[in-house]
Amino acid sequence: MNIDVADLTRKFGRHQAVAGVSLEAGPGVFGLLGPNGAGKTSLLRMLATVIPPSSGELRLLDRDPGSHESRREIRRRLGYLPQNLGYYPGFTVAEFVEYFALLKDMPPGRVPRAVATAIERVDLGGRARAKLRTLSGGMLRRAGIAQAIVNEPSLLLLDEPTAGLDPEQRVQFRALLRSLGEQATVMVSTHLVEDVGAACTDVAVMDAGRIVFRGTPASLVAEGTSSDTGDAPLERGYTAVLAQSRQLAKTRS
Amino acid sequence: MSASPPGVPPDVPADVDLDRAWLGVAAGVWRRRPGTLERLAGRALRSPGLARALLTTPSLLLPWLLASVVVLGAGAAATMTAGQPMVALLAPGLSGIAISYAYGPGVDPAWELSRSMAVSDQMVLLTRALAVFALNAVLGVAAAVISSLATPSGVAAAITFGWLLPMTAVCALSLAAATVARSAVAGAAAGLACWAIMVLSGLVAGGRVAFVFTQGALIVPYLIVAAAGIAIATYASRTPRGMAR
Repeated sequence: MNIDVADLTRKFGRHQAVAGVSLEAGPGVFGLLGPNGAGKTSLLRMLATVIPPSSGELRLLDRDPGSHESRREIRRRLGYLPQNLGYYPGFTVAEFVEYFALLKDMPPGRVPRAVATAIERVDLGGRARAKLRTLSGGMLRRAGIAQAIVNEPSLLLLDEPTAGLDPEQRVQFRALLRSLGEQATVMVSTHLVEDVGAACTDVAVMDAGRIVFRGTPASLVAEGTSSDTGDAPLERGYTAVLAQSRQLAKTRS
Repeated sequence: MSASPPGVPPDVPADVDLDRAWLGVAAGVWRRRPGTLERLAGRALRSPGLARALLTTPSLLLPWLLASVVVLGAGAAATMTAGQPMVALLAPGLSGIAISYAYGPGVDPAWELSRSMAVSDQMVLLTRALAVFALNAVLGVAAAVISSLATPSGVAAAITFGWLLPMTAVCALSLAAATVARSAVAGAAAGLACWAIMVLSGLVAGGRVAFVFTQGALIVPYLIVAAAGIAIATYASRTPRGMAR
């Protein structure tokens, strides 16, 4: 399993952002749905080895990120797009992608071709030599995706990757996700349920730091009824799962 | 050879992979040629990624270097003309600011991404801090030597090397404050404030501004501050350790 997590928690002061998540995932595209503040970003940051868990077990790519050498090996095979992509405004797209390819320890001889491939895959070839400060929000997002995939990662973590993309770009991006998911584990955090329906093989719904649903997009659709809120079957399934989870939490308390 | 597939110009044989050819061309055209300094750093550090990260440090970029040279040059001129130890007073503060701008989320916009990289951000921090410190020490020593030419004496030589220890302490304090507060401005302010308090205290206690870098009794406190600053910065920038079992 590329992701193997048991009872993972993360606290920030007194606030528990992730409250005991257990999860296994192999190759495929895994959608992580949930409202704002559900804990999706905190979970992804732990999986990206950016922050350590407060407690629980975490194995990535069959390695323990707790040891220095394993962590380094995991990071060589990891791609990560944070929710807020920081960038150097004076770098060109190609320089930006190359910078992270080098920081991922890729052999320097392989870097130029890998950079060109990643830039073409996100359809930014025409702006490869443009400074990042001249790009639109959607183009910056695609530059961020290019740096995430430049090393052909075995584990790809994308936090709100379609934010800022126009409808045509989102359709292209979903095709890219499906292609990447044939070999790698791709985890996509989003609150756009249509992205999940179109691209994901597996889906989890998070609420209040916990995973309250895990299954296929079809099984999430089956959770909803015509009386649930939402314009599409997947939206109705999503809101039904959230409503059930909140009702259960209320009953317990 | 067979006929061209749909969408490919008719004069291109079907067994020629245009996508592959284009990627080869694009890789060559978009390829960045590292400068001499970056190539040398890459060889010395045995990591092209670390060398590239080192040279994106704001406090190592040309405007910063020029500003440091101008400030220390003016300090050397003032020392030569007025006889006041301006280089010794300026160098620790200047270095503290540079160190604060060497690393961290307040400085590096891609800090979150760099936390997930194989070349660890702690290694980047260490390399940047060492490079900034070494560069400022070289510039400071050069300025101090130039200014001491006017008054060639043992005192001038002692002052030349006397400020290196306070500089180390101020740099370590700035780095610790910048790392904990996640703000280069906070780090620079802490370093400058600490140095100003030290100089003023020395003026009050010893009656002269040179007191803070000529008093042998201050060596141990400076060393303690330097060690504590480095320990705090190392702890605050630590990478995830063992997971609870």
